Amino acid sequence: MVLWWNTAGALDRQVEAAIRADATALQERRRAGDIAALVAAVEDRLAVDVQNEALYLLLTAEGRRLAGNLSTWPTEANAESPWIRIPLQRDGAVSEARLLRVDLGDGHRLLVGRDVAEKLRLRGLLSEGIAWAASASAALAVLGAWLLRRALENRLRPIYRTAAAIGTGDLTRRVPLSERGDEFDKLGATMNAMLDRIAQLMEGVRGVSDAIAHDLRTPIARARAKLEEALVSAQDEEALRAAVEQGIADLDGIARVFKAVLRIAEVEAGARRAAFAPIDLAPVLTDMAELYGASAEAQDQHLEAELDETLPLVGDRDLLAQAVVNLLDNALKFTPEGGTVRLAAHRLDDVLEIAVADDGPGMPPADRQRAGERFFRADSARTTPGSGLGLSLVRAVATLHGGEVALSDTHPGAERPGLTVTLRLPAS
Amino acid sequence: MLRPGLVVLSMVVFPLAEPASTENPLRVTTDSSAYCLELASRFAGQPGATAEPVRSLAEEGQRLCENGHVRTGIAKLRRALRASQQAGG
Repeated sequence: MVLWWNTAGALDRQVEAAIRADATALQERRRAGDIAALVAAVEDRLAVDVQNEALYLLLTAEGRRLAGNLSTWPTEANAESPWIRIPLQRDGAVSEARLLRVDLGDGHRLLVGRDVAEKLRLRGLLSEGIAWAASASAALAVLGAWLLRRALENRLRPIYRTAAAIGTGDLTRRVPLSERGDEFDKLGATMNAMLDRIAQLMEGVRGVSDAIAHDLRTPIARARAKLEEALVSAQDEEALRAAVEQGIADLDGIARVFKAVLRIAEVEAGARRAAFAPIDLAPVLTDMAELYGASAEAQDQHLEAELDETLPLVGDRDLLAQAVVNLLDNALKFTPEGGTVRLAAHRLDDVLEIAVADDGPGMPPADRQRAGERFFRADSARTTPGSGLGLSLVRAVATLHGGEVALSDTHPGAERPGLTVTLRLPAS
Repeated sequence: MLRPGLVVLSMVVFPLAEPASTENPLRVTTDSSAYCLELASRFAGQPGATAEPVRSLAEEGQRLCENGHVRTGIAKLRRALRASQQAGG
């Protein structure tokens, strides 16, 4: 439409503008002189009309022809609108005239116009061209849209098939990836990562349920048995009181385990991320080293601390402190009398490394893979007290902070290799 | 094949192009031998009518008119008239 307005439509406007200008000039001529001057002006215009397009007709009030090249005054020219479009006979062929009626005010009547046959032919050609171009564009657009839709369907089909399979309960399905590495592959890879994460979380939930069922049933049964035994065999009130107190202590221990499980769940859910703030871990670790150093001395152990002056990062101070406390607790628990526990914290480029090393029995590589699982306890640790949740919390805190936990031997190759737990966190 | 489509398209897209009346079609009176003579007479009265090349142009126009090629002859005479008027200022 815009194209037509700028091409074919411009021809019409051009003709009308020329007629209007011509009519205005003739009106001025009439005002400036008598009717003879207007007759001469019309005849002069016709005499030099090389394009043979000009049309005029000047009549007296009585209808007598004074000048012009039109045979009669058309009845259409008496209509209300001054503009007329009318067929024109020319050399036996029918053309078309565009005419403007001019009221001269003194009874004389004037028609000014143009033969627009050539313009109409040109407009027809332009319109035909525009119609062809529009048709071709529409056809190309439809074809392009169809091809695009087909290509999109082909690329999206594996994704929605996978989503449909997941929806029906088959959580093992993953989006097959092409080697193009385009946006659809990125979408598929992101979906796969999401599905892996969901599967991992579901596995974790299942593991926790199993662990709670297995690992908490024993202490509860043990506490119940003790209380029952005391009820049956207690000799006096003092023995009964002692048994009840022991039962309360056992139940407190179970409550602590539940609290630890809930806290790990809270950390893994990311609910604590809102409490993140820029902190310096150096004073926190220094206080911890002093506190646990005294505790270690009491058990004839040594705690060595090697800390940078500043350890800046963005995170949750309480959670990080709890994680390091868990590591120190574990290290002191497994280190024999006279042994040494080392707490080291350094900044290496963009990473903070906090390492707690002990001289304990160490952990076999096979167990290290499972060390972060809730309630997991290595065989060598079965005899020491604990719930198997300490390292789970450490791993959850590290993940929450975008870091990781690594386990290694403190003395590789030694009979008692010890264990070094390294917490790597992004520095700020 | 395309023409009917164009007619429909024209009716939809170009509403200003209303059909012209077919009753008593107008005729143009200047496509005639009489007008050819009138132009020749008008040219002869021009001040620069004897100068070349307009004189030859006008003569060619008259010759075409006499041989029946009225519209072409009139076009030549009109060119000659315009040229002589421009030359005369």
